[in-house]
Amino acid sequence: MSADPYSAQVRELFAAPAHAGDIAGGEVVSLSDQDVRLRLSGSATGGTVDAMRFRAWGCPHVIAAAEAVCSALEGRPLTDLENYAVADVMQNLAVPVEKTGRILVIEDAVRSLGQRFRDRT
Amino acid sequence: MGDEMIYLDYAASTPVDPRVYDRMREVGQAAYANPSSTHAAGRLTHAVIAQAAKQLGGLLNVDPKTLIWTSGATESDNLAIAGAARYRAHRGKHIVTMKTEHKAVTDVFEALAREGFDVTWVDADSRGLLDPDVFAAALRDDTQFASIMFVNNETGVIQNIEALGAICRERDILFHVDGAQAVGKVPIDFAALPVDLLSLTGHKFYGPKGIGALYMADRPGCHVDPILFGGGQQRRIRPGTLPTDLIAGLGMAAEIAAGSIDDDLAHLAHLRDLLWNGIREIDGISLNGDPDGFPGILNVSVEDIEGESLLFALEPICAATGSACNSKIQEPSYVLRALGRTDMQAQSAIRFSVGRPTTVEEVEFAAERYRAAVARLRSLAPEAAA
Repeated sequence: MSADPYSAQVRELFAAPAHAGDIAGGEVVSLSDQDVRLRLSGSATGGTVDAMRFRAWGCPHVIAAAEAVCSALEGRPLTDLENYAVADVMQNLAVPVEKTGRILVIEDAVRSLGQRFRDRT
Repeated sequence: MGDEMIYLDYAASTPVDPRVYDRMREVGQAAYANPSSTHAAGRLTHAVIAQAAKQLGGLLNVDPKTLIWTSGATESDNLAIAGAARYRAHRGKHIVTMKTEHKAVTDVFEALAREGFDVTWVDADSRGLLDPDVFAAALRDDTQFASIMFVNNETGVIQNIEALGAICRERDILFHVDGAQAVGKVPIDFAALPVDLLSLTGHKFYGPKGIGALYMADRPGCHVDPILFGGGQQRRIRPGTLPTDLIAGLGMAAEIAAGSIDDDLAHLAHLRDLLWNGIREIDGISLNGDPDGFPGILNVSVEDIEGESLLFALEPICAATGSACNSKIQEPSYVLRALGRTDMQAQSAIRFSVGRPTTVEEVEFAAERYRAAVARLRSLAPEAAA
């Protein structure tokens, strides 16, 4: 017997990812690894993240996690990006441990985006 | 039609026909004695089993005495392959099968290889068909056994069992056919086919789970060593007390199939064509298998779509991915990889399989849902690297 591999949060975020898309003129990071293709874009004002968007090719957990991460980072200080960790998102979404590598691609993208913002300033 | 579950996974399993349930309930209450007992109650149970054998024998057009009851196709495959290979081992240890067989076959061959048998794995062409000349070229003087499936469980491809079996007969090689996806679905006259051993299971054709059979032709040299021990039932080939109600259910399912198989096939072909015509215009879509294969199965891949997300986005449609469920991280299907599909094509594959209860409305909904899911996932994805 197989249990539902997707939590209620994953189902909700996958069905309606409000942060899917791009930010015109924003900083952009693209990564491809671990059966995931991800493009993360963000905009900031005065040291604070204004908006985050993503595009993702990957399993439902990746899409749901990308949505959760984008949502969580809006309004946070830019300095948070470079030290960002996806552990809480993985736990909240009940991502199977076998998919850790895929979700870490999102973490890498967020940290790279933070570096981009720092390099720009 | 919205959140209601739509079952399009009939190649995985089928619902039990209500007439089968009725028969099982009736038998479960009336014929509860051990069929090996010689008293009146035992004889009653024995008669129920004999009737089921007659029903299944009628579907296959074989002598009911050539049927051995098992727990399903996996056990039948194990008994046929391991049993026949070991029975013939003193004459030679070369055995042959295809790369695209079900795991219930390939895993037994791998186990036999570890025992010291020499296994040749023959290739299918890009549609999944085995060329009889390719098969013949793989045979050797010491080949004693070959196993080829009738209808492929992933693609629906139908092998030329008559030609392959004839090649085996010419060379006195025991020939086993995994018929799990064929029996009860495709009209087959096994009396006219050069097949020595045939595996089947009840739950693929509206019978109960947990019951299957192995047909073993009544001809010299055709025999298997047992793989289970513990009693004298079924000529010591497969000991154990027989599950009378399940056997009666399988027998009823066989009788129903025998009377409806032509209508079923026409129904499935109509639905399969409707589904394929509803999605075939999608950019990058391709059919996995042979267009002339079993019409109950439609296996399609689509470029640049992640398979797990596609299956998830198809809900409430219940279909199967082209991925092997061997791990929690899904791997591209070894069957589709063997047909030359790329990892990308194989991982995006979805197997839709329709059945007797499937309706036109369900299939039209599935086609619409598939088109929408592909469009949505493509809109979410970044461009692929050049």
